[in-house]
Amino acid sequence: MKHFKQFKQMFAAQLKLTFREKQAWFWGIFFPVILMSIFMVIFSGSSDNEFSAKVAIVNENPNPTSEMLLQQLTSIPVLEIESGDTVSREKADELVKDQEVHAAIVLPESADDTSIFFIVNKENEQGVTTQALSGMLNNFVQQANLYAVGAVPTYELHFESITSSSNQLSYTDFLLTGMIALAIAQGGMFGMVDLVEMRRKGLIKRLRMTPANMNIFGLSDMIMRLLFSVIQIILLTIIGVFLFGANVYINFPSLLVVFLLGALSFNALGYFFSSFSKTSEAYMGVANIASFLMMFLSGIFFPIETMPEWIQPLSNILPLTYFVEGLRESMVYSTSIFSTGIWIAIGIMLLWGAVAFIIGSWLYKRKSIVATR
Amino acid sequence: MTVLDVKNLKKSFGTIHAVQDISFSVKAGEVFTIIGPNGAGKTTTLEMIEGLVPPDVGEIRFGEFNWDKHAKTIKQKIGVQPQSSAMFDLLTPEENLNLFATFYDKARPTEEILKLINLTDHRNNHVKKLSGGQRQRLAIGLAMISDPEIIFLDEPTTGLDPQARRNIWDIILQLKKLGKTTILTTHYMEEAEKLSDRVCIVDQGRIVTLDTPSALIEKLTEEREVRLSFINGAEAAEEANLYSNNLSSVTRTEREEASLILWSTDPENTLYNLFGYTKEKNYQVEQVSIREMSLEDVFIAFTGKEWRD
Repeated sequence: MKHFKQFKQMFAAQLKLTFREKQAWFWGIFFPVILMSIFMVIFSGSSDNEFSAKVAIVNENPNPTSEMLLQQLTSIPVLEIESGDTVSREKADELVKDQEVHAAIVLPESADDTSIFFIVNKENEQGVTTQALSGMLNNFVQQANLYAVGAVPTYELHFESITSSSNQLSYTDFLLTGMIALAIAQGGMFGMVDLVEMRRKGLIKRLRMTPANMNIFGLSDMIMRLLFSVIQIILLTIIGVFLFGANVYINFPSLLVVFLLGALSFNALGYFFSSFSKTSEAYMGVANIASFLMMFLSGIFFPIETMPEWIQPLSNILPLTYFVEGLRESMVYSTSIFSTGIWIAIGIMLLWGAVAFIIGSWLYKRKSIVATR
Repeated sequence: MTVLDVKNLKKSFGTIHAVQDISFSVKAGEVFTIIGPNGAGKTTTLEMIEGLVPPDVGEIRFGEFNWDKHAKTIKQKIGVQPQSSAMFDLLTPEENLNLFATFYDKARPTEEILKLINLTDHRNNHVKKLSGGQRQRLAIGLAMISDPEIIFLDEPTTGLDPQARRNIWDIILQLKKLGKTTILTTHYMEEAEKLSDRVCIVDQGRIVTLDTPSALIEKLTEEREVRLSFINGAEAAEEANLYSNNLSSVTRTEREEASLILWSTDPENTLYNLFGYTKEKNYQVEQVSIREMSLEDVFIAFTGKEWRD
C-alpha cells in the first residue's frame, strides 16, 4: 500500500516532468510527424499513378494499314493522343521539338509501306518514358507482323506480382511503420539523457539520501516512457492512415509484444549510453551516432535490399532492423504472435537490449558514488 | 543525550587523504558547526555520516543505530540538504515537497514547511524560476519534510546575498527552537559564531579544535587589546601610558598621538584602575574600546591560514 502510494506520486511527478519538458514534445512527437509527412509527400505523391505518355500521331495518307494501326493505337489506355486526332508531319516535329508531346508516331504512307517512324526529342532519347514507349511500339509492331503472316504466338508473357502475404505493402505503409519504429527507438536512445542530467545535478544522490524506493522510481519512469511511445504510435498511425492513406492490418497481441520489448530494448541502449557519458553533450553525441547509423541502415525509409550488397550485413545486425521488421509484421501483415519469424526478430532485438542493460548496470555499479555526484 | 557519535573516521580517495581522523559527538537539540577551508574534508565527513560514502575506517552511530544494520531507519530519522541542492527543476516547490513527503513514513504538512521556509508565495512557480536563495530555502524545506530529528545542512548560505543569508539563519534558529539537532558546515565565520552551540574547526582532514564559540575565543588568548583616546592630547595619553605600565595585569602598551593601546590579561580591572587615575588627573577620555575577538582570529591562530570567505 505504501509502495503503491509512492508509485502514484512518483508517476504523477514523471508525468508532469515529461509534459513540461518542451524538448520531449518536439523530438518525440512533433519531429517524427513532420519527418514522416515530408517523406510521404515526396515519395508517395503522384508516383503511384499509372504510367502514361502523350504522343502525336501522323497519318498523312490514310490507307487501310495506317487506319488499322491507328485504331489499335488509340485503344492503348496509357497513350494520350495530342489533340485527339492525327496531325501533319511538320506539326508533329514541332510538337516534339517543343516537348509538347513525348513522341510522334508516323504511320505508313501507303498500304505497301512497312515502316513506322518513332520520333523523340534528342533530350529525351534515353528517358524512361522513351524506353517504355519504344518497347510498347516494338511489341505492337511484332504483333502486327505476326498477324500479317497469319501466325499464332506460341509463347505469351503473363505478368503477376506477389508479396509474402495477401496484403500489399505500399510505400506509405512501409514508411509509416518505419517512422513509428524510428520514433520509439529514438525515444529510448535519446530519452535517457535525463539520467545523465539527474546524475550531473546530484539528484540521484539526493534521492539516495531519502528512504525512497529507487526501484519504484525506475518503474514509474519506465511506464511514463512507454506511455509516451503509445502516444507516438497512435498519433503517427492516425496521420499515416487518414492523411496519407496508409493501410494497417494490426495483429494486436503481436504489436503489443513487439512494441513492449522493442521500447524496452532501445531504452536499455539509452541506459547503456548514459552509463559512460559524463555530460549530456557526450550522451547526445553517442545517441546521435547510433540513431543516424540505424536510421539509414535499418530499412526505415527504403528497403535494405536496395542498398549496396556489402553494407547489408551491417544492416542485418542492427536492432532497429528487427524492430521495424517486427512492427511491419504486426501492423501491416497482421502476423500472428505464434509465427517463428516474428520471434527471431524479437530475439535479436532483445539480445541487444539485454546486453546493453547488463553492461550499463555493470558500469553504473563499478563507478563509486562519489564519482556520480 | 548524544544523538550522533563519530569515531576515528578516515577516508582516502587514491592518494588524497580527505579525512584523516575525525571524532566528535553531537547532543540532542544543538547546532553543531563544522568550519574549515576548502578541501578540509568537511563535505566528505558529512557524506560519510549521511551514509553516502562508506568510511575506510571508523564508526558512525545514531544512538543505537548504524549504517550497516539500520540504513532504512537512519534515513527515516535524518534530513539532508546537500551542497548541490538538487531537486526537480520542472516541478513547483509544493510538488517537490509533496513528492519527497511520500518517501517517508511520516511527514510534516507541506503547508507548514512552505510557511517555515517562506515560499508560500512561490509555491506554484517552477523551481527553475526561483532565485538562489529561494532554491536554497526549498532545499532546506526538503530536508525538513520528514520532520527529522537530525538535519544536515551543507553550506546552506554559500553564494547567497546578505539578505538571503539572514533568511536562512532565521530558519536555522527556528529549527533550534523546535528542538531539532542541526549539523551545519559553513564558509562564514559570522554565521558559525551566530548560530552554533559548538564549533568544530577542521583542517587537512583533522579536527583542529572543538568547543563553544566563546570558549574558543577565550582559549585563543589571555590578553585583550584595549584602546583609549584622550581629549587632552598626547601628553595625557603619555602620562596614562606611564601609569598603566605599572599595573600588574598589563603586559604591553603603545602610544599613538593622543591614543593609548594596551594589552591586559584582566581588562576589566585595568580599566577600573585607569579611570580612577584619569579622574584624579581630570583627564577626559573620548573613546574606549576592547577589541572583540572573533572566530576568524581563532581560525587564523589554529590553522595559521588567512581566512577567505
